[in-house]
Amino acid sequence: MVNIEQIASEALAKIDGADISALEVLRLEYLGKSGVLTQILKSLSQYSTEEKKVFGSMANKAKSDIEKAIENKKENLKKAALDEKMLKEKLDPSPAFYFPFSKGSLHPILQTIDGICCVFKSLGFSVAEGPEIETDWYNFEALNIPKDHPARDAQDTFYLEGMNNLLRTHTSPGQIHVMEKQVPPVKVIVPGRVYRNEASDASHSSTFHQIEGLAVGENITFADLKNVLAQFVHKFFGNDLDIRFRPSYFQFTEPSAEVDIQCFFCKGKGCRVCKNSGWIETLGCGMVHPNVLKAVNYDAEKYSGYAFGIGVERVAMLKYGIDDIRLFYENDLRFLKQF
Amino acid sequence: MKASYNWLKKFVDFDLPPDDIARLLTSIGVETSVLSLGLGFSGVVSAKVLDVQKHPNADKLHLCSVTDGTNDYSVVCGAPNVAAGQTVALSKIGAVLPGNIEIKKSKIRGVESEGMLCSESELGLKEKSEGIFVLPENAPLGVPLEKILGENDSILEIEITTNRGDVLSHLGIAREIGAKLKKNPILPVIKTPKLSSFSIVKLESDMCLRYIGCVISGVKVAPSPKWICESLEKCGVRPINNIVDITNYVMLELGQPMHAFDISKLASKKVIVRAAKDGETITALDGRNYELDAQTLVIADEEKPIAIAGVMGGEYSGIDAQTQTVFLESAIFSPSSIRRTSKKLNLASDSSYRFERGLGWDIAELASWRAANLILEVAGGKIETREDIAKIDYEKTEITLRIDRVEKLLGYAIEEDELASALRFLGIDLQPRGGVILCVIPSWRNDIKEEVDLIEEIARIYGYDNIPKPPEEKTQIRTKNNSFFPHIVESFRTKLSGLGFSEVLNYSFCEIKELESLGLKYHYKIANPISKENEVLRPSLLASLYKNLALNLDRGAESAALFEYGKTYSQSGEKKMFAAIACGNVWREWWSWTEKKICPKYDFYFGGGIVKNILPSEDFIISENLAPEKYFHYGKTASVIYRGKTVGGFGVLKPSICECLKNGDEVFYFEIDVETLQDSYCGKDSYYKRYSKFPSLKRDISLIADKKLPFSKIEKTFKNVMKTGNVLKEYSLFSVYEDAAKLGEDKISYSFRLTYRDNEKTLTDEEANKDMNNLLSKLDKELSVTLRQS
Repeated sequence: MVNIEQIASEALAKIDGADISALEVLRLEYLGKSGVLTQILKSLSQYSTEEKKVFGSMANKAKSDIEKAIENKKENLKKAALDEKMLKEKLDPSPAFYFPFSKGSLHPILQTIDGICCVFKSLGFSVAEGPEIETDWYNFEALNIPKDHPARDAQDTFYLEGMNNLLRTHTSPGQIHVMEKQVPPVKVIVPGRVYRNEASDASHSSTFHQIEGLAVGENITFADLKNVLAQFVHKFFGNDLDIRFRPSYFQFTEPSAEVDIQCFFCKGKGCRVCKNSGWIETLGCGMVHPNVLKAVNYDAEKYSGYAFGIGVERVAMLKYGIDDIRLFYENDLRFLKQF
Repeated sequence: MKASYNWLKKFVDFDLPPDDIARLLTSIGVETSVLSLGLGFSGVVSAKVLDVQKHPNADKLHLCSVTDGTNDYSVVCGAPNVAAGQTVALSKIGAVLPGNIEIKKSKIRGVESEGMLCSESELGLKEKSEGIFVLPENAPLGVPLEKILGENDSILEIEITTNRGDVLSHLGIAREIGAKLKKNPILPVIKTPKLSSFSIVKLESDMCLRYIGCVISGVKVAPSPKWICESLEKCGVRPINNIVDITNYVMLELGQPMHAFDISKLASKKVIVRAAKDGETITALDGRNYELDAQTLVIADEEKPIAIAGVMGGEYSGIDAQTQTVFLESAIFSPSSIRRTSKKLNLASDSSYRFERGLGWDIAELASWRAANLILEVAGGKIETREDIAKIDYEKTEITLRIDRVEKLLGYAIEEDELASALRFLGIDLQPRGGVILCVIPSWRNDIKEEVDLIEEIARIYGYDNIPKPPEEKTQIRTKNNSFFPHIVESFRTKLSGLGFSEVLNYSFCEIKELESLGLKYHYKIANPISKENEVLRPSLLASLYKNLALNLDRGAESAALFEYGKTYSQSGEKKMFAAIACGNVWREWWSWTEKKICPKYDFYFGGGIVKNILPSEDFIISENLAPEKYFHYGKTASVIYRGKTVGGFGVLKPSICECLKNGDEVFYFEIDVETLQDSYCGKDSYYKRYSKFPSLKRDISLIADKKLPFSKIEKTFKNVMKTGNVLKEYSLFSVYEDAAKLGEDKISYSFRLTYRDNEKTLTDEEANKDMNNLLSKLDKELSVTLRQS
């Protein structure tokens, strides 16, 4: 009588130590047509029913154990081989990630305009536009800036030859265009290019961008203005920054204010960027002057409104830490690709 | 303007330190910074120089022995004016000078120095000074310097908004401080003796509203006393002589510019205020000659102008050491007239700066008396006569303020008492009438014209920061989602930046010469350009984009791909345009590519491929450019058509334009009219098309065609077969080949990969072949394009 258990344990031991080719040999040796277990199972007929039952189940168990062991061993060997292969193929990650195609970029000014517009759109403003070639009426008169007023000194103007037109010095004429076409309530922002006839230096450019904001309706107050600008500052610059309103003067608003935000570099402690004041002047604003409302035939008793103007270059310079405004218009790829 | 902290204290009673005063003023709209913080030193004492020797190792240095009365010190000093016997300011070891500089024991050129002898600038007493600070001889020794100097002052720099000319004086600033601190300003006490008036002033022009003249005889012109000199110097005004200094002193004090003439120098004893005659000239106090016109107001004698009114006095009528009789002017000129003159002559002064901003009717009178009083006090003499002529009947502005209007505009109810007190301390006279207040505006506040101006004053003094924000709106209104960028531009920007292009932003200006070289014409010329490079408005984005490209290549970039969205200015007005420019290799070299053949350039076809790729829908068709712009290479350009209308074009720039580029590569340029498209094209309309779930079959074919046959005709046949047969789904051109020997002189070979697929079932080879043969026979029949054998 053969000892099936011994045969099985011997086989399992051999399988454990085998490599992939030896496994096949073992499979044939035990499970093949003339394999040891096959022969045993074939020879079962010579035994009594009782013995058949015992041997049969033992032999079948041994067969399935060996089959399973071979399969397991095969799986393990494959996995080990794959691991080894991958280990051999390991690459040095340091020089590999170089894409030979240029990285594109979007201009920081337009990104800033887009970002500011998004914030105001979320606050219920829609975007409007106005022409850059303007008349004296839209750029000055309608905005309560009469001829010979010293306020015009601050806005040196480009005039066009052979015509009575000028290049707008601010986006505020956009207010007039919008109000002429629309009855209150009005809630718009007007982004765009503006021009001042002044020599370029690190902080001045004859061309720059502004975003004008305007809301007119019944019961719109200075407190609403504070609210909307505080929300803008917090959404655009950060929630933790303080903001302050300082009285100022613009012809087309009354009361007028200058909005300072806490310096986001030093958080108000004082640094080079904020000239040690802890505050950064960010935008001008105020309640729309009754004369401006009258200029567009709005009832200045019934309606009130606020307006504000944001200098895009200034915001972008602060946001990206750029110290020379001319860099925006030089268009050196080494600058552009940083944004 | 510069203001003295101590001087301000004479006009209003306050205890706040300079920093707090600056903050207070800034918070109510008068931007103020502290320029110098009085005495910013400690540990400096008076000392006597006992002996001065030459430094053994340095020609320009001295070795001084000084004493503070108790101890002797050996100090190295570089000042040329140091001499034995002087009483000087000694910074002992451990002293601190402005800027937090601590004096330490140190060796200078090998000799130990036990301190430092200071100059006035080192002590922060003056902006500039020469040599060491020499104290009065009788000053006690060893006493802290601050005790000897006595007064401790700070200089404030005040910046006003253009409407607040009334703040350009110590009285004006003090009034602002008083309004916030609820204190009334203290005016200088003046004596106004009764005088006989005989007429010497003739007021002949409306450009002068009020003219007060005062003749003082028997004055002694001399240098001003110390208190006047110091006051002027602190505010950055140079002392000249007592008469001139007093006019400046009163201007700084009360804000009224004044002028003094030597009456004996006049051709007549008449002072005439009149418009200048065209072509009349005057030599002003700055020594320069000015030509005047009829819009200029002058003060004249009977022969010629003696001053440009409100701007600058004339040279020949000025006060000098011999002057005995002074004519003192205090006037109110029309702001717009002064502004025009100052701009026209390009001549600005402290005086014109104030006149332009408007002056107080009452202040002119107060100043006239104040200056006359000071002259009598300082220079002696006697007031002979005084004349006050007005062109208008001045009346104070009266405004009715509705209390409820304040809350309506500010969104916050300020108590009536509170708002009334803000106005009252600003000098506004209030008459409450139940629900409204009648406000009488003081003459110096010409900026307050209507109710809303009063509301600003209230808000400003109450404090903007004290007006609370309303609770946040719960529901925020959403408006239609329009954007700064038109849809098509948004899509171009996203795609091109992903394709390696960088966005640029250029000025709207360019130079005519630049345009001419590109064959472009301008339509708008700037009447007053900054420079020649900025003389016209750009009619196209090309000029500046090309400049950007050249700049980058010049600075070492191997290739450049740029785009810009902006306005151009042509006969049809302002137009939004989008343009892209590219030059050089599309790919850079890469170590992982062993073969270098994959290195396309931004040429006509690659560039055109990009254009095709970024155009957002099939409605955009690329076709032959029938009227190429002058800057395109005639043979390498195409148009972009949208719904039958040419909206753009692309191509390679003319070789003559790009000659100067170093790399010798072609420059690809694309532009498209966004102004037209933004109205007709509003976002991509995509409709889902069902696609086949069955496998596809591929076929590669090479065709031989006549070189002259436009490729678009071949494509058209492909497209027709795709439509009719409905199994050819895609085709792509993967090779173009010319070889005179193999193909023939005028022939060209195109290789295509065709993809066949059926929507409903698995396609068989036979079905695909049948469709392909149909294509081939059509190509042969219609275009004589044949299958290439081999």
